[in-house]
Amino acid sequence: MSKTILVVDDSAAIRSVVGIALRGDGYEVIEAENGQDALSKLNGQKISMIICDVNMPQMDGITFVKEMKKLPNYKFTPVCMLTTESEQGKMDEGKAAGAKAWIVKPFQPPKLLQAVKMLAQ
Amino acid sequence: MDMEPAIQAFATESSELLEQVENSLLELETNPDDSERVNELFRAFHTIKGSSGMFGFSKVESFTHGVESLLGKVREGSQELNEDLISLFLSCRDHISMLVGNALDGNEELEQEQVQAGDVLSAQVNAHLSGSIAVSDELVAEDGKTSSGKDTQSQVETEVDGVAAAHWHISLRFQPDALRNGMDPLSFLRYLEHLGEITGLKVVDTTMPDPAEMDPESCYLGFEIAFDSESDREAIEEVFDFVQDDCDIRILPPHASLSAYRELVEQVPESEQQMAVLLVELGSICQTEAEQLFKSPGNLEPAADTATEAAAQTSVSTAKQQKPGKDTAPVSKSKQSAAQPTTASVRVDAAKLEALINQVGELVINGAGIEEHAHRIGDNALLESMEIMSRLVEDIRDTSLGLRMVQIGDTFNRFRRVVRELSKEIGKQIELCITGGDAELDKSVVEKLTDPLTHLVRNAIDHGIETSEARIAAGKPEKGTVTLNAYHDSGSIVIEISDDGGGLSKENILAKAQERGLIDSAKGLSDQDIFHLIFEPGFSTAEHITNLSGRGVGMDVVRRNIEALRGQVEVESSAGQGSVFRIRLPLTLAIIDGFQVRVGDARYVIPLDMVDECVELPREKWDMLQESDYIELRQQVLPLLRLSNLFGGNASIDSRPDIVVVRYAGQVVGLVVDQLLGEHQTVIKPLGAIFQNLRGISGATILGSGEVAMIIDVPELVLKVMNRGKPQVREMASVSEQLH
Repeated sequence: MSKTILVVDDSAAIRSVVGIALRGDGYEVIEAENGQDALSKLNGQKISMIICDVNMPQMDGITFVKEMKKLPNYKFTPVCMLTTESEQGKMDEGKAAGAKAWIVKPFQPPKLLQAVKMLAQ
Repeated sequence: MDMEPAIQAFATESSELLEQVENSLLELETNPDDSERVNELFRAFHTIKGSSGMFGFSKVESFTHGVESLLGKVREGSQELNEDLISLFLSCRDHISMLVGNALDGNEELEQEQVQAGDVLSAQVNAHLSGSIAVSDELVAEDGKTSSGKDTQSQVETEVDGVAAAHWHISLRFQPDALRNGMDPLSFLRYLEHLGEITGLKVVDTTMPDPAEMDPESCYLGFEIAFDSESDREAIEEVFDFVQDDCDIRILPPHASLSAYRELVEQVPESEQQMAVLLVELGSICQTEAEQLFKSPGNLEPAADTATEAAAQTSVSTAKQQKPGKDTAPVSKSKQSAAQPTTASVRVDAAKLEALINQVGELVINGAGIEEHAHRIGDNALLESMEIMSRLVEDIRDTSLGLRMVQIGDTFNRFRRVVRELSKEIGKQIELCITGGDAELDKSVVEKLTDPLTHLVRNAIDHGIETSEARIAAGKPEKGTVTLNAYHDSGSIVIEISDDGGGLSKENILAKAQERGLIDSAKGLSDQDIFHLIFEPGFSTAEHITNLSGRGVGMDVVRRNIEALRGQVEVESSAGQGSVFRIRLPLTLAIIDGFQVRVGDARYVIPLDMVDECVELPREKWDMLQESDYIELRQQVLPLLRLSNLFGGNASIDSRPDIVVVRYAGQVVGLVVDQLLGEHQTVIKPLGAIFQNLRGISGATILGSGEVAMIIDVPELVLKVMNRGKPQVREMASVSEQLH
């Protein structure tokens, strides 16, 4: 069975790029627009990995990771944060919350795939 | 990997975000402490930056980066968000919009003028970032202008060494006889290419007459050319040696002085505004130089407005380029208001929508055919299925027509910027009040409304609202209000543009109308008639043309634009209280619910939305019907129109006449018909060009039986009845039109 990856970003364009890259490599992709939306889309199914933006409306990425880690099913789901260089300070906060990897936007799809291969369970 | 869908997503997203940015900024202007708005703004720029980086649109990314950083400071509270800063952000927004558009067109190279404009904006942003705002503030103060300091920087440069553009500027106006004398403009342009590169070329066709009057052997063209070349003036002049007698040639060297450009603009027949737009588009002068150039006091058009004007101009030209059939839906606009975080929208090719609606139309026609058969056969099960089918078809019809509908609020919101800038320019305090933004109408109609609406809004600001002093003297609040409102009314959508200004002056209108020969005297004219004179062709004066948007749009053009959409425009005004311009448009253009009637042997369809009721005449009133043009209906006078007389059918004398009461714009008229046939879904088929001047018929439709029925143009008939026995202002005007 192919692995499922949840992509959380408020930008449809970014979701689209990430989606194209991942689907092209055989992954299932679920998209969510913000933390809140992502939480509601988890609903118990098996997620191999989460790729998540930091700055989003309604619920930001850091809060989302914290909330998600509280759920027993997803306690150990690896998270890769997407960020821009201007958010360096957020990195530590994210790591504390449980993010495993960081990718700085803009990134090239191969780099993303590499991270996904490394992390996806 | 095919990135096309992702790029499409980026296009949609960025245009939605940029629209949201504009709304947020304008909102912040009245309410600068709204931190959620600032967050939203920050996120929007942040997202644009992030995603443009993903696609390698480095110019967008790097420019947006600075803007985002500055907004970051605003968000932290270390930078106050004042009016100047909002202006700066608005300019940056426009610049980003341009950069994104360029990037999406695959055109990463910018024109010099755009690069320059970007640099100036970046410098401004950086100045704020590094805290050296004081300097630019000083410059602003010196300049005495409230707009951002960007103007001043390049102003300093240009005063030293002429315009920034490093290319030659060549202005050509061919004489009408040029072609007859064997001169082909194109060959000169080709030859010019031997000396250097034509980096920009604009065709000037302002002297082009209407197609009917155009003489194919005459030349009506002029050109404005940006020419990059090492050659000297003599060499360039030599190119045009042969055509000297048949062409006005003006050549300006690189870095020519502004006064040289001013001279050029004064010599050519085009208006200053047209020339400003052309020169700026060619990059021969930049925006700030254009503002300087046209800052002369006598100029009616506020110079700095050319920026919005240029923008408006481009949008107009793109709108024109879209042929109905292959109109590739421009980047879809967010339907919801900016406050809503995300809009899930799907881009669909307009041609596909068009096809869908046509197919639904066919479905409706054929459904009606089947229904007729089903009734004839009389099988109950079949009739029952038919019933359900019809309902489904009706639902499909409504949904697919709804696909083309957009809320008018987006269009309204765009005027906030226009009002903001224009009112600043002319120094009036004006508030724009928007209501009814959720009323929906067809997207193609919305696009065609922008021009007339712009005109009316600008009119309201320019002529409607008085100066602050006059307002205070009249005991009104100092701040004027322009209101945009939309609502549905018996099958039409009504859009109102109202102002609380001084109102139209009857005396002035009458005087002008008499002066222009539109009327002989004011005798017998109601106030309404007098106000409507402003829509007559030939009423707008030359001063109007230069004043308003420089596109030569008079009120008659507004009326023509609206009538082309099968709509009407009316005006109400009371002295000292203000004016209301009311645009009334039909709701949909493709499929309607119709009411079928028979007159003689022919069938007609009346749009159901406009039908108030049907009345059967008691026998004793038949005589009255024969004699007069009206009857009494519930103590009210109901004017009548006999369709059999009007359309020349043979009236069947023995049948009982029925009256269909229709309503349009508050007026009620009874149409006398021979038989009522009931409701009928009607697919409007436009009439061919031959029937263009047919009055009282707005289209045709095919009935289930395959017969053709005419669709009655209720507005036209109501007007006809209303104008019975009145002085025919409109007819007189059209006579005078022909005389001119």
